[in-house]
Amino acid sequence: MSDEREPSSEVSRRRFLTVLGTTSAGAAVLSGCSTEKVEKLIPYLVQSEDQVPGIPTWYASTCTECSAGCGVHVRVREGRPVKLEGNPDNPINKGALCARGQAGLQGLFNPGRVRAPMVKQGGSWKEISWDDAIAMLAQKVGAAGGKLAVISGAGRGSYSSFLGDWAAAAGGRVVRYQPFDLEPVRAANARVFGRDEIPAYDFGAARYIVSFGAEFLETFGSSTEYQLGYAESHGFTQGREPAKHVYFAPRASLTGLNADEWHAVVPGSETSLALAMAGVLLQQRGGSVSGMPSVSVDEAAKATGVSAETITRLAKEFAAAGPSLAVAGGIGSQTAGATELCAAVNLLNFAAGNVGQTVRFGADLDHGDGFGALEGLSRSMAAGEVELLLVQDANPVYTAPRSTKFGEALAKVPFKVSTGLYFDETAAACDLLLPSHHALERWDDLNPRSGHWGLMQPVLTPVFNTMAPGDILLKTAQKAGGSLAKFSAATWEAQLKSTWQARFPGGDAMWRAALARGGMYQEALVAQVKVASAAVAPAAPALEGTGEFTLLPYASSLYFDGRGANRPWLAENPDPVTKITWQSWVELSPDAAARINVREGEILKVTSPHGSVEAAAYIYPGLRSDVIAMPLGLGHTEFGEFAKGRGVNYLDLLGPVAGPFIPYVSVKVQVERTDGYRKVAKTEGNTRQLGRGIAEAMPLAHAAKGMTVEQSAKAAGHAAHEINTPRELEALQGWREGQVGRKDGEGRRLGNYVGEHPMWGMAVDLSRCTGCSACVTACYAENNIAWVGEEQVMRGREMSWMRIERYWEGGTDGEPVEARFVPMMCQHCDNAPCEPVCPVYAAYHTPDGLNGQVYNRCVGTRYCANNCPYKVRYFNWLAYNQKAFPEPLNLQLNPDVTVRARGVMEKCTFCVQRIRGAQHVARLEDRPLKDGDVVTACQQACPSRAITFGDMHNPDSAVLKVKQDPRGYHILEEINVRPAVTYLAKVLHSEPVAHAAAGGEHN
Amino acid sequence: MAVIAQPPPTQTHADVTRDVVGTLSTATPGYYLMLFGAVGLFLVGVVTFTLVLRDGLGLAGYQPPIFWSVFITTFVFWVGIGHAGTLISAILFLFRSPWRTAVYRATEAMTVFAVMTAGLFPIIHIGRQWVFYWLLPYPNQRYLWPNFKSPLVWDVFAIGTYLTVSTLFLIFGLIPDVAAVRDKASGWRKQVYGAVSLNWQGTDNQWRHYSRAYLYMAALATPLVLSVHSVVSWDFASSLIPGWHGTIFAPYFVAGAIYSGVGMVLTLIIPLRRYLRLEHMISDYHFDNMAKLTLFTGTILFYAYGMEYFVAWYSGNTFEQTTFWRRAFGPQWWGGWTMIICNAFVSQLLWFRKIRTNLTSLFVISIFINIGMWFERYVIIVSSLSNDYVPYAWDVMTPTWADWGILAGSFGWFGMWFLLFAKNFPIVAIQEIKEFIPMPRKHAAHAGHH
Repeated sequence: MSDEREPSSEVSRRRFLTVLGTTSAGAAVLSGCSTEKVEKLIPYLVQSEDQVPGIPTWYASTCTECSAGCGVHVRVREGRPVKLEGNPDNPINKGALCARGQAGLQGLFNPGRVRAPMVKQGGSWKEISWDDAIAMLAQKVGAAGGKLAVISGAGRGSYSSFLGDWAAAAGGRVVRYQPFDLEPVRAANARVFGRDEIPAYDFGAARYIVSFGAEFLETFGSSTEYQLGYAESHGFTQGREPAKHVYFAPRASLTGLNADEWHAVVPGSETSLALAMAGVLLQQRGGSVSGMPSVSVDEAAKATGVSAETITRLAKEFAAAGPSLAVAGGIGSQTAGATELCAAVNLLNFAAGNVGQTVRFGADLDHGDGFGALEGLSRSMAAGEVELLLVQDANPVYTAPRSTKFGEALAKVPFKVSTGLYFDETAAACDLLLPSHHALERWDDLNPRSGHWGLMQPVLTPVFNTMAPGDILLKTAQKAGGSLAKFSAATWEAQLKSTWQARFPGGDAMWRAALARGGMYQEALVAQVKVASAAVAPAAPALEGTGEFTLLPYASSLYFDGRGANRPWLAENPDPVTKITWQSWVELSPDAAARINVREGEILKVTSPHGSVEAAAYIYPGLRSDVIAMPLGLGHTEFGEFAKGRGVNYLDLLGPVAGPFIPYVSVKVQVERTDGYRKVAKTEGNTRQLGRGIAEAMPLAHAAKGMTVEQSAKAAGHAAHEINTPRELEALQGWREGQVGRKDGEGRRLGNYVGEHPMWGMAVDLSRCTGCSACVTACYAENNIAWVGEEQVMRGREMSWMRIERYWEGGTDGEPVEARFVPMMCQHCDNAPCEPVCPVYAAYHTPDGLNGQVYNRCVGTRYCANNCPYKVRYFNWLAYNQKAFPEPLNLQLNPDVTVRARGVMEKCTFCVQRIRGAQHVARLEDRPLKDGDVVTACQQACPSRAITFGDMHNPDSAVLKVKQDPRGYHILEEINVRPAVTYLAKVLHSEPVAHAAAGGEHN
Repeated sequence: MAVIAQPPPTQTHADVTRDVVGTLSTATPGYYLMLFGAVGLFLVGVVTFTLVLRDGLGLAGYQPPIFWSVFITTFVFWVGIGHAGTLISAILFLFRSPWRTAVYRATEAMTVFAVMTAGLFPIIHIGRQWVFYWLLPYPNQRYLWPNFKSPLVWDVFAIGTYLTVSTLFLIFGLIPDVAAVRDKASGWRKQVYGAVSLNWQGTDNQWRHYSRAYLYMAALATPLVLSVHSVVSWDFASSLIPGWHGTIFAPYFVAGAIYSGVGMVLTLIIPLRRYLRLEHMISDYHFDNMAKLTLFTGTILFYAYGMEYFVAWYSGNTFEQTTFWRRAFGPQWWGGWTMIICNAFVSQLLWFRKIRTNLTSLFVISIFINIGMWFERYVIIVSSLSNDYVPYAWDVMTPTWADWGILAGSFGWFGMWFLLFAKNFPIVAIQEIKEFIPMPRKHAAHAGHH
């Protein structure tokens, strides 16, 4: 196969198949659209070695959905990537992958991508050839005479260095800008420790975690890595005290809902709290930090609204646990004083001895130049000092608040070029579009932290007529000549490879090994730091405006900075906290809702000194009464059909930015009811579990003693959730013997459970599950689940085979609210109620204990769904499959899984295609199936490692061990459906708030 | 309860034939108006169903966990309606209840058409309507057989059997009467009626066989009155949904079916009697008896409703308790109360003889019964499904135009058949009415045809 191919006007299927997946085609310049319908089937004359029909090929790569740099494995079938999974070799994510990472494929195959180079002529877009486009850019670079600037959102790596060199050679400058860049964290580190960097946080080693509004399970830093560590330390393991987690913030984010204690502090008051805690800690230990301002516990109590006793208690607990970890710098608490808060938290960590332990400098996590740098460039642009602007992988028109007037500054630049993948707000404002390859289409690398280099390689022929950004720069340089002529590499691939050869010893072998492992991973040395300055201003910053509520915009864990908004998998994955899909909303506390007399779905008008927006109200118990909260990420005016015009952008409410970062919490707003109503497209029905024992929990003391859920409830003096009476159990005994008890293989009616077949089972540890919903998107991706859209979700018709149920406990009468998350999927009951009611045997039981669903036999009576007590069956009410995979999204479909048509029932299959795949492999290798051969999609993705799956007939299987945990219970055990999923009760550091009385009305 | 005596016959055999056959005379514009109305409604249903076929069941208001709603409600409603006919024609025949004679033909026709209507719904309501025949046990190359454990397969047999038997029973009862019509008819109509009457001559031999066979058919149909709706009720009772999973369901549903059936009979016969001028054949006596039957079954329903709530409370089962609490006070409370008021309470008005014999009040009550019984099924199905085991999945639904379109279509379809029948076949059983007329002595030789 040749490296260079002539551009051709059409791409045949054969060519498509032969080129893709190879390791040398990345730089090929292709034109034409590979998604056009090709009717001919042409067999391979010479079959490519790594393309065997029906056999997946795996490529290691690096996720680019945020700057954390998680490693991925790309599953490629017949030349198409069909699934992203975490790369277990990558020390950052160790095999896990969050929902955003999973949805990377919908970024690759997004219909909203720019499909070819385009130039704006008289207000409309005209497609041009790459040669013309490059020539045009080269000419403009030459003409700009050094008045050139680049805004790049690309992660740190060989490309960003090259870009810097390139821009410098052209006489321009680069601003690397990415939203949520943790600028306050860096600024505070620079001030306190003299290190302008983001350290590594080791949540796994921490025995006590205090977060001052840092949403480390969602959008703060390297969240998948943190979640892995957090689940390890905070999840319950017998014989080890789990880490306690305390969260201080005006709003309980998902991270806050997972905390053992959440204290709803006054926005901006956290600084005094951190200082007071540090004071108590130092007092107790008898140390001191010179120059640290002293804030008494009483002062902190007054400022935050948390009682002095609580602060003292928590500070003492924090001091007693070692090592502990305090983090700050989240978006939901990013006030103008965020740097002060981060500095105070630095002192707290330092005083507790965590620096060097759980806070490790030297790792230097990837970050951009901060909003201040963008603002500086924006001023230059407005002043007419920029002739040519190149925007890459960044969407500042959307992510910079409107009142920063970035858009106006952009308009002043005579010629703007975007090399972004998508036609977003910034691309729309540009003059020339040079669409880049997606990360899965190109050679590239990332350096998300010191010593860690992740590689990317092309895994398919580019979907559209795009080019690797490195090649765009190289070709432009060669065309422009002059000072740029020194960039003479033939292709970006060649340049990258030689960069790597220079960077690491080992030549070609090193390169191949790095490609196979997904990169080169070296542990950064921990840098020793000392306090350079302990100056912190503890006062809460003033807020602008006179409204009744403080506005709390927060980063959506799915849409992130808005880049996720064009992915239906993320839009339809319910927000982990509110369970709302597709829409924007305004969160109010129940008190606040009562005060302004508003109910869910009523449209509120939120007015700040800088603008106003309207969105539906959602009443959320995890919120202070004097704040309203809103998720960022929606309200796009461009960005493809899935994002454009959906929801509102709350950044419009913010004021101009004076400092080095956007103070998201900086305005007070007025909230008024309007006459409007919009049903909230949420997936939850009742928010309370009504004492039904669905999401069980027990206090730590009981779990440590090895108590069961029932014993724990009794010991706590609650009425035990009655499962079966002795008489019922007696009656059931006979049934069990009849069904499964006989060893001789006779008399069994529900599958050969005692024979040589496996019996598949799952266990979910609720003490580890954080509700992050990565499993949900993984399930959509693996199982070709159709998204249904906002209107159908309003009718409760979402198809999520796996859903995370979220129940509230407490939260009334001044009790703290507690959230319980339960992943709910088909329980593959041994005595499944769905099976006997199907008139055509579409629902049936396999010998290995699966609850099968034969799609092409299903006539759609829906009796099975009625009779399913877990309500995990999903019906194709309309032809969702015809709407959910518009080209080229259909290229992602997993060929191992049927795409279900209208009129049939579907549900979780325990990833039966993976079970059969693993069995086939074992058979081919002539060996028995090993424990761990079968990994379900949800299990694979889970960054909490909460899910275990395996063969319950294998006495050594991990799943059997987990199922024998005393905390194990079955949901709805009393109805004797004998589910194959065991849940391990959540473990609480305190008593469960309430066993809500049964039969009550809460809807 | 005071008894209204059967009025002594005031007619001769010839009068009966004349009056009944007279109902088949040329239709009035009013009739055509009603017929066109029925056909129009039916077409609404046809168009709706066509759209559902094209786009899917999602056009209706289904909102998981409510996987069954208006279509199954309407199905059970029409099956229930079908019960009064066989009860009146078969069971009361076996019990020799004289008041059935005047009304049984109309109720039997209603039964057949109601079951014909109900029979459409299992097809309408499934997701892939075009493979509905997979529910039937037929030999096929795939060696696939329906699942006889599934109550839906029981349904197929129950409804199939009921439709067959009640149709046969109707046709069988018609034979002598159609012969009477044939004798009055001329031209092609005579040929058609002749064929339908199987060339009935009214000989003694024919009568002997006929009455034996009729008795046999009645005996065959009788258990179906109890079995069909029991089986339909097991669709629900054999599931594990709180609010469905009850041992009371079979008798409860049968009583409800008869209640709704008699209600529908009243709704149909009261205007029909006036329109066809049959006042002297269908009198207070008949209405009084039908009202008493309504009262009886309505009281059983009253008891059943009370018992459902009692059992929910007494069982201590939190799922049952929640379901019934929400049925009365939940988001769909209006449905629960409509059913209780229309069925349990309104039927109790029939303790009063004045109400029983006042056709206006009886007609109004019958409308309440129809509404109440439709709502009973709606409440049992929709409100039970809306809140079962897992609270996170709870939801409520609102029917859409597609639900109403199909519902309207079912009434149109039913009405169309009933109107066509009423104008083309004797709606009152001629030969059975005649049985109550003493044989005339003086003019025996002139006695008309049977």
